[in-house]
Amino acid sequence: MNGEIEEIRGTFKPELIPAATGGNIDDYEKALHTLMKFVGSMSSALEQVSGRGANAIVYQAGKRMGHEASKLMEKTDDLEKAMGELSEVLGQEFYFEMWKPSSQDNYTVERGDETEVKLLFMDCVVRQTLRRTGLPQKGPLCYLLYGYIVGAVEEVMDIRGKLDIDHIGPNACLKTLTIKWSGK
Amino acid sequence: MVEIVIDEDACVGCGSCVEDCPNDVYEMDEAKNKTKVVKVEDCMACLSCHEICPAQAMEHQDIHVAKRLYIDRSVKDAINRII
Ligand code: SF4
Ligand code: SF4
Repeated sequence: MNGEIEEIRGTFKPELIPAATGGNIDDYEKALHTLMKFVGSMSSALEQVSGRGANAIVYQAGKRMGHEASKLMEKTDDLEKAMGELSEVLGQEFYFEMWKPSSQDNYTVERGDETEVKLLFMDCVVRQTLRRTGLPQKGPLCYLLYGYIVGAVEEVMDIRGKLDIDHIGPNACLKTLTIKWSGK
Repeated sequence: MVEIVIDEDACVGCGSCVEDCPNDVYEMDEAKNKTKVVKVEDCMACLSCHEICPAQAMEHQDIHVAKRLYIDRSVKDAINRII
């Protein structure tokens, strides 16, 4: 075997749930980078083959994931509470907060039977992956996340939702989430 | 609260930050031909202005700095050995 690779030898017994993950922090870092490269190249290949249709496909896939991930979350009509639950579903890797320009009084804006809220995504593994692989933002991988967010909100609030990208930046991205109450 | 410091000696007055900022945080100071911060309260720390500024003339203080998981330490070490 290659001398640089440290082999782990031991006894293995069948177990239902392993007690702990193996490896040290360097192993995790390497695994993360390998995954980033794989996911990045998959995303760009998808875009090359399917063009802009790729975004629509992964958006739907993300939406399904979002619905699944939020099935056990408490249902609510309260947008702020729903954002708290969404934050739990997305976890630290997609750290976001509601955002508003200084000229606006509240985080939410009502437009007929729609409510809009701006979400500022500060930490995002998707953005990290794209930067790792030198790919532009707003491609299929971003759409997977958009679908995931919309799916999670739809599930928790039992409404129809839509997400628009206002701005993408290297340190934060701003999105507008629109809740359609009549879609209930 | 975000604070933006402009290094006026470095700023070349290209106006890219004024054009690029989605929240109109900057304006050109025509007399000085330098950018100036006019609406810091609307800065969301996206750092698009940092990416576009050719002179690295700005500094954002007291912001959430996104975790930089994309830095490959082995590549960085190799570059550091060359530089
Ligand atoms: S960080 Fe973003 S919002 Fe803030 S000044 Fe720069 S471009 Fe504008
Ligand atoms: S982008 Fe940089 S160099 Fe250009 S005006 Fe803004 S601060 Fe000055």
